[in-house]
Amino acid sequence: MTQPLLEVSDLHTVFSTKEGMVKAVDGVSFELHAGETLGIVGESGCGKSVTALSIMRLQRPGRIVGGKVMFKGQDLTRVSEYEMREVRGKEIAMIFQDPMTSLNPVYRVGWQVGEPTRLHGGWDAKKALSSAVTMLARVGIPSAAARAKDYPHQFSGGMRQRAMIAMGLTTTPEVLIADEPTTALDVTIQAQILDLLRDVNREFGTATILITHNLGVVAGMCQRLIVMYAGKIVEAGPTTDVFANPKHPYTWSLLRSIPRLDAERHEPLKPIEGLPPNLVDLPAGCSFHPRCVFKVDRCSRDTPALLQVGDTQRSACWVTQSGTELKGA
Amino acid sequence: MLAKYVARRFLASLIVVLGVTAITLALMKTTSGSYVPGIDLNPALRPEDIARLRTQLGLDEPPQVWYATWLWNVIHGDFGRSMIDGSRVTDHIFERLPNTLELTATAIVIGVLVAVPLGVIGALRRGSKADHGLTVVSVAGFAVPQFWMGLMLILIFSVTLEQHGLPWLPSSGAFSAFQGGDLLDRVQHLILPATVLSFFYTSTWSRFIRSSMLEVLSQDYIRTARAKGMSERRVVYLHGLRNALIPLITLIGLELPGLVSGGLVVEVVFGWPGIGKLAFERALQYDYTTVMGVTFFATLLVIAGNLLADLLYGVLDPRIRYG
Repeated sequence: MTQPLLEVSDLHTVFSTKEGMVKAVDGVSFELHAGETLGIVGESGCGKSVTALSIMRLQRPGRIVGGKVMFKGQDLTRVSEYEMREVRGKEIAMIFQDPMTSLNPVYRVGWQVGEPTRLHGGWDAKKALSSAVTMLARVGIPSAAARAKDYPHQFSGGMRQRAMIAMGLTTTPEVLIADEPTTALDVTIQAQILDLLRDVNREFGTATILITHNLGVVAGMCQRLIVMYAGKIVEAGPTTDVFANPKHPYTWSLLRSIPRLDAERHEPLKPIEGLPPNLVDLPAGCSFHPRCVFKVDRCSRDTPALLQVGDTQRSACWVTQSGTELKGA
Repeated sequence: MLAKYVARRFLASLIVVLGVTAITLALMKTTSGSYVPGIDLNPALRPEDIARLRTQLGLDEPPQVWYATWLWNVIHGDFGRSMIDGSRVTDHIFERLPNTLELTATAIVIGVLVAVPLGVIGALRRGSKADHGLTVVSVAGFAVPQFWMGLMLILIFSVTLEQHGLPWLPSSGAFSAFQGGDLLDRVQHLILPATVLSFFYTSTWSRFIRSSMLEVLSQDYIRTARAKGMSERRVVYLHGLRNALIPLITLIGLELPGLVSGGLVVEVVFGWPGIGKLAFERALQYDYTTVMGVTFFATLLVIAGNLLADLLYGVLDPRIRYG
């Protein structure tokens, strides 16, 4: 296999709170290859956003306390702040969950979209603006030249997210991190934005990390998928395999909790019992065991590692690692 | 649209002018005391002279009639003459107003120039020694009365320095009576009163900028700015500060009445020949016409100041629409 574009290994990011140390990212490792779309899935607070922010070193007030983020031969956790600025917005771009608040309300959209090229390409205002207009038109903003003169409050939510995507693409980055890009949008707009991200991935060859809590989004977008729970990766593998045959009880439960159009008969949806754990005070052993319907004695004592289970998937679960299939219940 | 908005605001402000001047007259009429001391008690005046003067000055008319007459004259551009010295009220005001504007405008400019960087430092280094130090100084700025601070500065920079034969600063007036009046002389006179006045502004506004900046720096668009790979300085000053300044404009707009009245204590302590000191002295002497004239102009200035603040708001914040 070719050299991965981005390689995260054993990443640890912590937050100091009044109640104690929160391990928001606890030993996460994954690879991203050129041109692929990787999904990171999990509930709120599972560490998926902090993982993305840690790659960009924007995790403040959290601290990266271990691990590596290898990108183009350098470890991003160790480069100087100055070198990091050259990566941000130029080689790795990021778009965020809430387009309503992610654009600066007091500057014109075109000015903001063109800002990365002025910062990184040293372009003058005129050239940056014309590239911004081109890119805005490319992401589907009608009469882009006129709309570039608008302020963000004159844009709808979907248009703002398009503008955010345009802003990320002006420097033709190699990696685009999209953190819940559709969560704040209407369902119809969600579909348009996902189509756009797919086009961008195809046309520009930008490798994309798509962070979402929505398995439906991952299904249509990502070749590979990572499932996170309580700061750890619990399952990873090709999307089709994970959906067809989940190897971790958390993934299994998640899939049963969402409606599926392709189900043979309509079964009632089954929510996952219990609540996500308190990150300050994680349960011993596997963090998921208090909510797990397959748990065995060992689960409350020892923490399982992420190991190969089956041909293509990896799972951090004692049950599936011992060869048991997840069925029924 | 904007012109229409300004016109409408001015029309609405007419009611404010009427209200303020009417209340001012009512307050002065309700205070007891001999109207225009010196008339009733002057042994050189015969009772019929006193009665004639009282009629001339309108002192025996019911307040509403006096007010109506005054208003009628004002509409025709006549603010009347001072009841004390007989000179034109407008002459008094236009003689004093530039001095007041000089003092308060200087204090506000210094206040903004000092408060903004201090507030930003406080926000960027929240919880540091510098931040705590600034908090202490700010609390002192609220707590120390302006007259006391003024007297202390006079004691140190005028009295003590002169006693030790060192260069000292003048303690009173806007310029030296003899061979004064050039720029250096005026600046020297300005230093102490402007310091007292701007210290108060700086204390309030720096706290305000600090909290406003802290709020702005936690916004999503600041994270977006950082993700673009710009320097922290650019993040703070280009993307943060402009947003943080918007609420400060309101605060300065609210402070604009101080252009006329807020400096009153300072003007009295430093003998500053401004409009606040004039109103203060003439109110004690029951000089109705002068006080009413000053009140009228002060009200106009406050209204203009607030309107200016609202318009400036629109310059800084594109979301504001006038209509």
